[in-house]
Order: sequence, then C-alpha cells, then structure tokens
Amino acid sequence: MATTTLEPRAGSYHRSWVLDWLTTVDHKKIGILYIVNSFLFFFAAGFLALLIRSELAVPGVQFLDQNTYNQAFTMHGTIMIFLFVVPVLAGFGNYIVPLQLGAPDMAFPRINALSFWLLPLGGLLIFSGYLFGGAAAEGWTGYAPLTSDRFSPGVGTDLWIIGLALVGTASIMGAINFIATIFKMRAPGMTLMRMPIFVWTILVTATLILLATPVLTAGLIALFIDRNYGGSFFDPAVGGNPILWQHIFWFFGHPEVYIVILPAMGVVSEILPVFSRKPLFGYKAFVFATVAIGLLSFSVWAHHMFTTGTVFLPFFSFMTALIAIPTGIKMFNWLGTLWRGKLILATPMLFSLGFLSMFLIGGISGVMLASPPIDFHVQDTYFVVAHLHYVFFGGSVFGVFAATYYWFPKMTGRKLNEPLGKIHFWIHFIGFNLAFFPMHQLGLSGMPRRIGDYSPDAGWTILNMVSTVGAFMIAVSIIPFLINVVATLINGEPAGDDPWEGNTLEWATTSPPPPHNFDRLPPIHSERPLFFLTHGHGHAVERPEDLVEEEIVDEKPGDVERRPKDLV
Amino acid sequence: MTDMAAGFALLGIGMLVVLGVVFVIASRGGPVRDTPKPPRGVHMPGPSYLPVVMSLGAALIGAGFAFRVDDQLANPFLAIPGLLVFVAGAVAWVRAANHEWREVEHGAHDDGPAH
Amino acid sequence: MSTRTMQAHPSGEHEAAAAVAHGQSGMPMALVGMLLFIASEVMFFGGLFATYFNARAGFAGTWGPPEGGHIDLPLAAVLTAILVASSFTMQFGVWAIRRGDTGKLKLWTGITLGLGVLFLAGQLYDYTELGFGLSDGVFSTVFYTLTGFHGAHVFGGAIGLTVVLARALRGQFSRRNHVAVEAVSMYWHFVDVVWIALFLIIYFLQ
Repeated sequence: MATTTLEPRAGSYHRSWVLDWLTTVDHKKIGILYIVNSFLFFFAAGFLALLIRSELAVPGVQFLDQNTYNQAFTMHGTIMIFLFVVPVLAGFGNYIVPLQLGAPDMAFPRINALSFWLLPLGGLLIFSGYLFGGAAAEGWTGYAPLTSDRFSPGVGTDLWIIGLALVGTASIMGAINFIATIFKMRAPGMTLMRMPIFVWTILVTATLILLATPVLTAGLIALFIDRNYGGSFFDPAVGGNPILWQHIFWFFGHPEVYIVILPAMGVVSEILPVFSRKPLFGYKAFVFATVAIGLLSFSVWAHHMFTTGTVFLPFFSFMTALIAIPTGIKMFNWLGTLWRGKLILATPMLFSLGFLSMFLIGGISGVMLASPPIDFHVQDTYFVVAHLHYVFFGGSVFGVFAATYYWFPKMTGRKLNEPLGKIHFWIHFIGFNLAFFPMHQLGLSGMPRRIGDYSPDAGWTILNMVSTVGAFMIAVSIIPFLINVVATLINGEPAGDDPWEGNTLEWATTSPPPPHNFDRLPPIHSERPLFFLTHGHGHAVERPEDLVEEEIVDEKPGDVERRPKDLV
Repeated sequence: MTDMAAGFALLGIGMLVVLGVVFVIASRGGPVRDTPKPPRGVHMPGPSYLPVVMSLGAALIGAGFAFRVDDQLANPFLAIPGLLVFVAGAVAWVRAANHEWREVEHGAHDDGPAH
Repeated sequence: MSTRTMQAHPSGEHEAAAAVAHGQSGMPMALVGMLLFIASEVMFFGGLFATYFNARAGFAGTWGPPEGGHIDLPLAAVLTAILVASSFTMQFGVWAIRRGDTGKLKLWTGITLGLGVLFLAGQLYDYTELGFGLSDGVFSTVFYTLTGFHGAHVFGGAIGLTVVLARALRGQFSRRNHVAVEAVSMYWHFVDVVWIALFLIIYFLQ
C-alpha cells in the first residue's frame, strides 16, 4: 500500500483502475505509461513506413500521390523520433533510474506525470493534421521556405509546430527531473562513480535535452511567427534566411541524435556484463567517453549542412570525426566485456549483440559522411537514409527491445518466453538488414531520398524490392513479440526478484517493486552492489575489474554452476 | 496607432488584473510556525489529477494557436477555455504544494515549487 | 526467493537517505530545479539571439527599424535602470529573510514587484510609440520576438513575486524556510541579465 502521509484516504477505498493510472505520480507507473504510449506510436509510424516501402517497391505510382507520400515520410520520421524512440527510453529511465539509485521516486513526481501526459496530447495534435486538410509534409527536418505559409498553407504544419513545442517542453521538464534526481537522491554510498552506466547515460542525455531542446523551441516559435504573424525569419521572399532555420534546427538536431542513442548504449552496458558474467570493461573510460560525446555533440551540427556552401567544412568535418573516438572507445569497452566471458545468449543479450554489430555499421557510414567529398556525393540520398536507420533502428531500437526483454520481469513479475523472443530477434535482425543494407548502394548510385517514385531505367528496382521485403519482415517479427507480451502478462512464468543475476539495485527488490521501491537497501561500495551482496561479503571493493571470477565464487560454488543454465 | 495603443493598454490592464487575482489567491492560509523536527522517513506525494488537467489546458491553448483564423492571435474558442483550465490547474497545483508542505513534517523541508 | 541476507540500514542512514531525498544536504531540491530550468531558458534565449545575430549579419542595407519607425534608446535606458534596480531590491529582500527579517522581506519584495510592473508598463508604452509592427521586415520581426518573449518572462517573474509577496504578508517565510524566495530571486536575476544583454545588443550596439 502506498505509504503516503498526505492523502489519508488513498488506499482505503477502491479506486477505479482508470483513475489510478490517470492520476498516478509513481515513477514506475509513469514509466510504463511512457513505454506503452511510445509503442503505440511506434506501430503507427511503422505502418507509415510500410506504406512508404509498398509505394517504392516497384517504379510507378502505386497508390500514394506525391502529397500523401510526403505526409507519410514526414510523419514517419517525426513520430518515430519524438514520440517513440526518445520517450520509450525516457520511460525505461523513469522506471529504472530511481531503482538503480536506491531512491523512492523521482525528484518531482507530479511534474513527472505532467511530462508524460503532454506526450499523447502532443502526438494527437501532430497526427490531427490528417483530419484538417493534411498532416505536415515537409520532412521531419521542416526546412524553410518549404514550411512557410507560402508553400505549405495548411494547418497541418502549424499543428506539427505546436505539437512538437508541447512534446519538447515535456522533454525539458523530464530532463530537469532526471538531473535533479541523479544528483540529489542517490542512496548513501553511491558516489557518482559507482552509479550504473545506464544512469550515467541518462544523466548526459538529460543534460543534452536541457540545453538543446530549447533551441528547437525557439526555432519552432520563429517558424510559427513567420507562418502566422507575418514574420521574416526564414522566408527569403520577405528578407528572411532559410539557412538560419537549418542552423537552429541542427544545433538541436545533432545533440538530439545522441539523446536517441546514449540511453540505448546505457542499456547495452547493463546487459552485456550480466550476460557475460563479467564486470563492464573500463567503467571510468566509459563514463568519460559518454561525457565527451555529450560535449562534442554541440560542435558538429553543420555536418548536416555541408552542401549549403555556407559552412566552414574543415572545422565541422574534424569535430565529427573526433566524436567517433569516444564512440570507438565504448565499442572496445563492450568487446572487452564480452572477451572471455561466460556468454549467456538469452534474448536481451541477442538484441545487445545485434546493437553492437548494427551500430558499428551505422557508425562507419557516419564517419564516411563526415568527409565532405563523400558527403557532397551522397547528401540527401538513400545512403543517408541507410546510415540513420542503422544508428536509430539498428542502434536505439535494438536497445529498446533489449531493455524490454531485460526489464520486463522486473516490471511485471513475469519472464517473457525465450523461444518466442529468439524468433522475434532473428526475423527482426534479418528483416532489418534486408530492409536497410541495400540502401547504402541505392544512395551511392544516386537514388535521392523523399521521392515517391523513380524511373524503371535507373537500375534501382531490385534493391528497392529487397528493401520492401525486409520492411515487411520487420513488421512480421512484431507478431511473436506481441503474442509473447500478451501471453506472458496473462500466464507467464513468474520471475522472482533477480531472474538474470544482475549487478544493480533494481534487482534487490521484488518484481514488481513496492510503491516505495525498497524496504531495505544493500550496502553500496562499488558499481555492482548486488553482485557483491550475492557473491562477496559486502567488502568495500573499489575496482571490481581487478578481481578474477574464481575469487568471488566462495561459499556456494554449486550455485554458480547451476544458475547460467536456468537463465537460457 | 491608437488601435494598437488601446490594445496594449488593455493588455497592461489585463496583466494587472491577473496579478491581483494571483495575489488574492496566494494570500489564503495563515502563518506557519517553525517546527524543526528531523525527517521521519520518506514520504511520497499522493495521486493527482492535475498533470492530466494541465496537459489538457496546454494542448487546448496550443490548438488555439494552430487553428487561428485571419488576424487573430489565437482561436478564442480553444485558447480561452484552455487558458482557464491551465490557470486553474496551476493555481490548484501551487496551493496543493503549499498545503502538503505545511502538513508534512516541518522544518527544513522545501517549500518551493510543487513536485 | 533470494538466498541473500540484506543488512538493514542503521536508523541514521535511513534518515540520511530521507534527508538526501528531500534535498536537505546541500542545495534544496526546489533550487536545483529552478537552476536547471534557468539553464534551459538561457538556451531558449540563446536560440532567439542567434536569429538576431544571423539576421543582422546577413542584412543588406542599414540595419535598423523600417521607414517611419524608430527605437527609443533613452526609454530603454530608463527601463534598464528600473530592472537593474529591481534586482538589487530583490537581493535585499533575500538577505533580509536570511537574517529572519520578515518585515524587510515584505518591503523589498513589494518594491521589486512594483519596479517589475513599472518595467512592463514602460515596455508596453514603448511598443505603442515605435511606429512599426512585427510584420514590417526582418529587424521588426527579431525585435518584437526578442523583446516580447523577454517581457513575457518578466510577467512570469512578476507572478512569482506576487506569490512570494502574498505568502510573506501571511507570515509563511522564516529564516530557515524561504526556498521560494530564493528560487524566485534567482529567476528574477536571470530575467534582468537577459534584458541587459538585449539592451546592449539591440539598443546600444545595434
């Protein structure tokens, strides 16, 4: 029962389930709301992707006229980024961060709820364009002067602006909440350098949101003023500068992509050590790499604008290449974690390994794009579409699924079915590569992005067909996932407190946790407090990576042999 | 020019009215005594409908701006109800936060903006 | 069921945890929240200032108000003096309540609020005298957007000051308990700093 002193009536009468979820300020429920809401938008935006791929499978206009097609790719991008991938990771953050810190809730629980509820409403506003003459159709990047009232007079673009402004404000409030919680509500003994890596990535992500999103808000307001009150920010016909929009948008937009990827990296950094039965290799390097990526992300925005002719190419090219270094350090840390580990290939681990390989490919195409000579050739082609999907989808979305399989037992008390999970993974992995790998070649051979049709003489038909097959495979892979989730919720295998033998504090309480999270906290002397509670004597150990596995297995060697088999 | 002047004068008077209303509402409630007791343990705020209410208000205001007609600043049929809902929600929020602070243990607890 | 044994916290640690949870060690939670909020607002105004600089840098012709319009530097200077003074009076109020002087808190908060309202009135009066509107070209757009959003933030600060004043008059602040005063004062100083930047860049340096 909620141990609240403020609402003496709470819990003493039966409250309806709907009212309970509508009025909750519990970070765990709010986290689940974020996750469920995000997946709903994922399916909507995924449906739009299937429309796009169906149209592009063969040359000729199949069933989407150009304007409808433009709305489809605009809404696909906008919804996927702002209403799926960022919020779902924020949802996992909401659920898990207070638990990993040993805290009872977030710093500002009611503002936490407010941040959530703005999301479905903002998303509905954005989508409602379809009801009022057409949704926004200028690409998720909204370049001027296409977005001006001259070229896009409908209300759909205004709804896009307002919806994004609301969603952005919600993000900023969430960021304030996370930063305050992480700095002020850690359990005793948990110094900053003993926090789980997932918490570090959320901290840096929240800082990026705090500093970058307001710039987008300023740009959106300026665009709204241009469109509605006769402003002259961006439209050259009235003296404005379209490149200004690009600067403002990408100053936000580049940190945004790190906002999208860092929490997923954090998830993978939680999963790999647990499923390799080894500590994370290079914890400190990982923390510094994360902070470095955060800082550098503000210095590279103009690499999205190389071809405008108004950008100082050497600086931005250099900084973009530079940011590959801390990212590479993380890659080596992950590999170092896997090396000589006792790998357990359960579904969370499969998605994490998928993350590593797919993000690597996306990272390589990114470094290629950092080079202006290459970028000049492939800017605005499918090469960029390939790159962004390998990092967003192959990176973040694989991370999202990894997080889902990993933390589902904690949130619901039941473990998802392993065979179904593996089916989901493999169909998803193969479908993903079929869908997006050919796009590298399509871009190199000149296929532009955001086109609804192409000539049969271009030689692009076969690769487009393959890509469409892949896209539908991804859609099909969702079926075992949904069956798994529903069946497990109805009648799944009970999970217990710590089904994976984790290292961090969320596994030191029941599944799901009580409203106040912890009855008692274990002593915290390292970044793996639970590991040392289970395997050690709670000794203060500052550098667990110095310890060899065998030393830790002391009193119950038999248990350690037994557990890995249980997990698969 | 006199049109604009009248408009801005109206805006100014409107702001003063708002401030007056805020003053009156915030004045409710009596003095608080300092009871420096040490914290007794964790407390958590109870459930609240205010986040939903204020989100709805904000969304209505936003829709008001999106659906403006001709020379309006915003569509009054959406923006005004939205503003009322939003302001009512904000007032209730601040009052609830003050109330909670006074009811819960004491002393050095934050009395700042609401949770 | 877990085979681990959990050590219960000794009661001091639990209270320490609660104290930490309430932000009693170090800066109060509400102030942390306000600082972070101000950081985001700095970036918001940064974005708006960026539009000003970009527009000015790319402008062909003389930069300034359109034909028939003007900006009023003397009035702006007066407004600057008013706002800067109000920051001083706000800080006097904060120092007063830190000493436990509730009387002076009320006085200085009242004066600060009065100065803030005076600033807003002056700003609105200025708008009526300028002779150009938002849709009269690039300068006009950035001018009204920047000063308008700043004014809106001053109004928000005025609401905060009103709440603080009302609560002060009701005796709700003490030497140990006045986080709201600190938070509102931080916001008010921020609003002042933004105005100083605005004044220097738009009015003074042009």
